[in-house]
Amino acid sequence: MFKIYSSLRKEILLLINDRVGLSLMFLMPLLLVFIITIIQDGVYKVVNENQISLLVLNEDTGAQGSKLVNVLRESGLFKIDTLAGNAASQESLKSELLAKGKMIALYIPKGFTSGLETNADQVSSILMDDLGLEHDSTATAHAETPALSFYHDPVLQQNYTYSVMGIIQSYMSVIENSLMIDNMYRTMDLGNESEKLKNRMINNRVKINPVVASNNNSMAVPNSTQHNVPAWTIFAMFFMVVSLGSNIVKERVNGSFLRLKTMPTSFILVMFSKMSVYILVAVLQVTLTFSMGIWILPHLGLPELSLPSNFLAFASVVFMSSMAAVSYALLIGSFARTQEQANGFGAISIIIFGAIGGILVPTFVMPSYMQTISNFSPLHWCLEGFYILFLKGGSWQELGLVFLFLGIFILICQFCTYFKLRIERIL
Amino acid sequence: MRELPAIEIANLSQKYKSSQENTLTNISLTINYADVFGLLGPNGAGKTTLISILCGIFPPSSGEIRFFLEGRLLSASERKSVLGFVPQEYAFYEELTPRQNLDYFGAMYNLPKEQLEVRREELLETLGLTKSADKKVSAFSGGMKRRVNLAIGIIHKPGILFLDEPTVGVDVQSKNAIIRYLQEINRQGTTIIYTSHHMSEAESFCNRIALIDHGNVISQGDLSDLKVKNNVSDLQSLFIKLTGEEYRD
Repeated sequence: MFKIYSSLRKEILLLINDRVGLSLMFLMPLLLVFIITIIQDGVYKVVNENQISLLVLNEDTGAQGSKLVNVLRESGLFKIDTLAGNAASQESLKSELLAKGKMIALYIPKGFTSGLETNADQVSSILMDDLGLEHDSTATAHAETPALSFYHDPVLQQNYTYSVMGIIQSYMSVIENSLMIDNMYRTMDLGNESEKLKNRMINNRVKINPVVASNNNSMAVPNSTQHNVPAWTIFAMFFMVVSLGSNIVKERVNGSFLRLKTMPTSFILVMFSKMSVYILVAVLQVTLTFSMGIWILPHLGLPELSLPSNFLAFASVVFMSSMAAVSYALLIGSFARTQEQANGFGAISIIIFGAIGGILVPTFVMPSYMQTISNFSPLHWCLEGFYILFLKGGSWQELGLVFLFLGIFILICQFCTYFKLRIERIL
Repeated sequence: MRELPAIEIANLSQKYKSSQENTLTNISLTINYADVFGLLGPNGAGKTTLISILCGIFPPSSGEIRFFLEGRLLSASERKSVLGFVPQEYAFYEELTPRQNLDYFGAMYNLPKEQLEVRREELLETLGLTKSADKKVSAFSGGMKRRVNLAIGIIHKPGILFLDEPTVGVDVQSKNAIIRYLQEINRQGTTIIYTSHHMSEAESFCNRIALIDHGNVISQGDLSDLKVKNNVSDLQSLFIKLTGEEYRD
């Protein structure tokens, strides 16, 4: 026991003395989670949130302008922020749009109601003529169909802009149809009987059933916290390659490992101690960054991180991710000839693995070929494990695939490390 | 006791896969109990390979090695507790203090905690490291690092001690302190196998030597006998006479 204690103590002392490694492993993920979550939160909101923020300036004095605003609001698709007509003008709408941080704005012009009513009169007049029914043709005046103005931030993709315009157009059609029906019923002296027809026309349209179809085994889209907290924790876990990798290189190169070989001790004890201490480091990293996600990020107006309900699955994902990170550091440490090689190659390889694995940019926004390539990154599988925990309640069935890939990665790293140390006669 | 063997090496050869020639060829040596045995030779002669094999870092390609302690043949499992090794490199943790290094390596030699603490303080005192015992070794001078390196190799009071150039790159004071202490433990019965390029140091320290060149033992025996036999006045002259004056790069 004293031997195990001494071996663990030595690893802990080496770790405590490695200030650069410690800051990379503990400060870096906190800073990255903090900064990247704030930066990406807006993007995730655009992708995730049901409501589209819309700034509206209604200069129409009639009923239809207000009706359009109400219909849009009641649809639940828009979060509407209105500008008072007296205080604002169409010219100032653009600057208001940018100043308020909104992406889109709608301008309803003066005379919008009268324009719509005139248009409805004209349509019903044509219909009455075609049906050979009598009507008051003197009441029909000629007027231009009123136009709405749709302002949008230039960064918005064209398809997103057209989608929103399509939605507004769809609600406009409802209003226009309603006006025409009212007009025709009034012309034919049918009174208020139009409600039944309007309800039938509006509520009995062809339905579109949404079906989620994904091509990368992923499911619902995570929010910025659910992505960034585990993502940067995994990134930091793998960054232990700088500390553990260079630690191993140092011991290999300075002869400490060979010296240990002359002693009545097993090298397994040395490796066990290293792995145990760094797995503990990984658990502390998770504790630290997840605590930030739970207690600090909500105070900054960011989504709160809720811990997965399946604690055993959560612990398993953390353990497998830690083992993958430790095994990769062992591999780099056993193959690098110098500490500079271990640090340089280790750090760059983690950044590349992070980029293709969806740490920097989530895989669901990547093109399909990049999603395929991401399968070759161990960081991707670690992140998939956390996604399954957060978004699927930690389904063991789905975690099985994650554990299989991580298990294969761990075995490859451990075997390569073993053979390299055998070649060097350390084992 | 001094006539009892400590190490018997018979027909030991070593050939690396990467090399076409043997690094060591049919080495046969007997090192007696409490000898200070000098393994001397030019660069690339095979000294470090021989010491590595003797310490158990890797097995020889062929041949046999037997270790004894006070006349008793040691089993393979006993050897590692009896052998001590002080490599040429600073094979310890520079980020740790001498105390922490000794604690770790002492535990790896299976020393019980209480015994280790006593031995640690004794060594720190003897090798003049007590004042710096809680400072990181990385800040030490070359001489102090050599002393730490030595202390680790003898923390368990080895019966047989291998020293690979233990005084290289140190000042006279540290060199004297190291040699004095080695002579002291030799008097107490520790067999020392030592390599060095300092011929005057080796001459004053060793009682027996083996000269190795190109992987072969070209001469071995009592140092004074060898000098008489080869008609030379000192070890350096003997060395040059037997190995030549050509560069060995």
